[in-house]
Amino acid sequence: MIRFFRWFCDPDIVEDLEGDLTELYEERARKNIALAKTLFIRDLLLLFRPGVIRNFKGLKNLNYYPMFRNYWISAWRNLMKYKSFSVINIFSLTIGMVACMVIFLFVKDERSFDAFHEKRDKIYRLCEVQSFPGTNTQNVALSMPGMGPTMAAEFPEIEAFTRFWGFGEQLLELDDKKITIDQVVAADTNFFEIFDYQLLLGEKGEVIDQPLNAVLSEEVAMKLFNKIEAVNETFILDGQQYIITGIMENVPENSHLQFDIMLSIGSATSSRPNFDSQFGSNFLNTYFVLNEGADLNSMSERYPEYLASKMDRDDINDIYKLFLQPLKEVHLASTDIEHDYNNYRKFNGTYIGVFILVGIFILIIASLNFMNLTTARAGNRAKEVGVRKTIGAVKGQLFNQFILESILLAGLALIFAIALGFIALPFLNSLIDRQLGMMNILGDPTIIGLIVGLTIALGILAGIYPSLYLSSFKPVVVLKGFRSFEKKSIFRSSLVVVQFSLALAMIISTLVVLQQLTYMKNKDVGFNKDHILLLDMNQQAQEKYDELKQALLNESNVLGVTGSGQRLGNNFHQWGFKARVDTGVVNLTPSNVHVDPDYLDVYGIKLVAGRTFSQEYTTDDGLAFIINEAFAKELGYDNPIGQKVGHGWYPNDSLGTIIGVTEDFNFNSLHYKVNTLSMVYHSEWGFSEMSVKINGENIPQALKDIERVYAEFVTDYPISYQFLDEHFEELYKSDEQMGSVITIIAGLSIFIGCMGLFGLASISIQRRIKEVGIRKVMGASTRELMVILSKNFAIMILLSFVVASPLTFLFLSGWLENFAFRVAMNPLIFLVGGVLAMIIALATISFHVIRAANANPVKSLQYE
Amino acid sequence: MSKHSVGEFEEIVMLTVAVLYKDAYGVAIKKDIEKRSKRSVSLGAMRTALKRLEKKGFLESEFGEVTAVRGGKRKRYYKVTPYGKKALEQVMETRKRLWDAIPELAFDI
Repeated sequence: MIRFFRWFCDPDIVEDLEGDLTELYEERARKNIALAKTLFIRDLLLLFRPGVIRNFKGLKNLNYYPMFRNYWISAWRNLMKYKSFSVINIFSLTIGMVACMVIFLFVKDERSFDAFHEKRDKIYRLCEVQSFPGTNTQNVALSMPGMGPTMAAEFPEIEAFTRFWGFGEQLLELDDKKITIDQVVAADTNFFEIFDYQLLLGEKGEVIDQPLNAVLSEEVAMKLFNKIEAVNETFILDGQQYIITGIMENVPENSHLQFDIMLSIGSATSSRPNFDSQFGSNFLNTYFVLNEGADLNSMSERYPEYLASKMDRDDINDIYKLFLQPLKEVHLASTDIEHDYNNYRKFNGTYIGVFILVGIFILIIASLNFMNLTTARAGNRAKEVGVRKTIGAVKGQLFNQFILESILLAGLALIFAIALGFIALPFLNSLIDRQLGMMNILGDPTIIGLIVGLTIALGILAGIYPSLYLSSFKPVVVLKGFRSFEKKSIFRSSLVVVQFSLALAMIISTLVVLQQLTYMKNKDVGFNKDHILLLDMNQQAQEKYDELKQALLNESNVLGVTGSGQRLGNNFHQWGFKARVDTGVVNLTPSNVHVDPDYLDVYGIKLVAGRTFSQEYTTDDGLAFIINEAFAKELGYDNPIGQKVGHGWYPNDSLGTIIGVTEDFNFNSLHYKVNTLSMVYHSEWGFSEMSVKINGENIPQALKDIERVYAEFVTDYPISYQFLDEHFEELYKSDEQMGSVITIIAGLSIFIGCMGLFGLASISIQRRIKEVGIRKVMGASTRELMVILSKNFAIMILLSFVVASPLTFLFLSGWLENFAFRVAMNPLIFLVGGVLAMIIALATISFHVIRAANANPVKSLQYE
Repeated sequence: MSKHSVGEFEEIVMLTVAVLYKDAYGVAIKKDIEKRSKRSVSLGAMRTALKRLEKKGFLESEFGEVTAVRGGKRKRYYKVTPYGKKALEQVMETRKRLWDAIPELAFDI
């Protein structure tokens, strides 16, 4: 304390003041030492005032302004004098910054998912690990309706539960209007208390507490009633009249749960009194709010006991394991979770890490460029340094000057980067299907501060080496003629190697990623996915399925029509399955799909044995099964055809038979292995979706025909369809987006690298211009000269290749593990990447090389 | 009044310095003021005033002998300069003139 006082106090009065303080202290200390101490500190702090504080010498009478102005002028003149260098220097940094900003925006957007819920850290989603016999183990986001209420009652850690049950697209009737609404869901009463979706009208805990209550989003309210104040209005859904009890803001884009209409769960369950204790089938999402300090591990120890008490099956804990997934992981860490129907824009969170890494890479490349070019250009500034030193500049001053200049350049780059960001973002948004806005950066003062701070830091970091280097010049040497002191710079070369290693790594990654993506697009998945239109089947369409199918088949542009209960591209639902074997009847749980008899024909799925469904056999309705090879293998029959099998609920004495075995086709996305599958036809079940195969040569006409025919039969519901290949593209969206980002960044990084190389080549070749002249006079040919000049650069690229390859290989192997079906990594790819980089690099420097090699030696040598 | 006017607190400080005569140093001045005017004075405020007065030329100071108390620090003794005395007199005179100019009945309301 006293030391602080001695530091700030005016040296003229420090002695007696300290004396005064001590005297007072001693006097007080005689009465009460503790009080004296406090008072001492108080007095001391009160002394921190003008009149007592010393004058700080540094600030005394020194005006730095003219010097700064001089730095500014010389920096500006240098920028203008070497325009091409300045452009390369600033622009490469700009590109790096733009890339970083965009990545930042992207990551911020992804991270913002579900962050608006106040209880976000306490909310968990109940998930299951299912290991049914005869099928692959899978993580599933669904749970049973009885789990929410009973777990909340039996686990003290659980404060509250809410269930979220999606019904998908539904048709609403309103007076005589019929309107389809995309996302109709139901949830428990406290849904709005747990999740912070804002209610505009209605009270959180009350809006959906009665059966047949509904909350509408603003948008839906406008659509249905042309006003937002629609409380107490009614509509009809599924033959029941609902009353509107609340209006909420539209569900934000960054919410993994999306819904337009929220019904009270009671509406769906009032007819099912046992709903809250219903176990067995998983079809809704359950969310829990845990209390502070809940221990997930200790909870999970009690799950087996809980499951055993609820379900009467000996192997219950073999086939089900529960786990809680934190809300913040739902969006980014659910890649391995299947049957995840309520997870909007689910994204593979590991790619976030990749993006950040890639952003850092490109910034490093750009900064290295900056360092390298500034250092390489040192020759141009050497005379200035010499003169400044001669007239009295000290090293520190020069260092400051160059650092300031570097910060200035970084600042300029930042300004350009922001401008470029505004231009580039709309284009990027369409490419990666996001709504990113620069205002997310510029609207937030802390982020602006961060960016400015980072820019300054970047300026300083990138400027340190060049500044040290420049300010260390000896004036005598420099002014005498600087050419003589230039040596080969290992440091600069190694910077280039680092730069190119990173760029190479990204080129190779791009090639492999693109290869994998093309592979996924073109892989023979075992069925025909081109020109197939998926038509949603509503109630009316289901009733008229046969007529509609027949009418569609009469159209010339329709090549085939079939129906199915589920859509290809996801894992099919798993149902119980029985098979008779030598030792009795075994229970298995393969994926199941219910299809129209001509399904295999329309999709071109090949049979390896047996026959497809046929209307001729009456037993094919519900008693005939077609399985895939994987399932056949699992069952272990020598000849599966004719074996007795059936649905899990069939009595043992009335099983059906296996009539056919198909090839393993990828009904699930290529991230997963082909699961065991059983297909069946039930005439009375109805299909949720109609697949229409159309003539690929005349798609617009085919669409028109389908729409016309559909309208003839289905009058209540508007048509809604999607192409199957579009659906598949959605499945690989995360991967595709990662592919585009990597491609863009790789392009940019090699571009920045080349800009740097271009600048560097110009300088180093300039420096060897006399050597070239002499060689030429001595009889070297243009070609020999080119080889000599390019050699150094080629070596650098080669070195980069050696550095980059193994690291890239490791990274890519890790990435490919995400896919059950993946390309093998071909060493050739690395070679291609290396050669590509080499060609680009040599092409970049060739401009200078050719010019130097062709130059007239007289010109370069005449002043010697 | 001249440029170097004397504020109320400054006046008290100068008068106290004069009262204490040979014994006017930091803590002593502080205590005396506190005793006579019954108000608490912080070391900092007083020091600032002393410094300002010295700068104006109303006070001058010199270091005293080293003593065993006070952690071995010397005391700085202050003394009113003739110029300071003049300034004080001026203040007093101004006051006096003002008092004299007050009509008898002014305070009787």
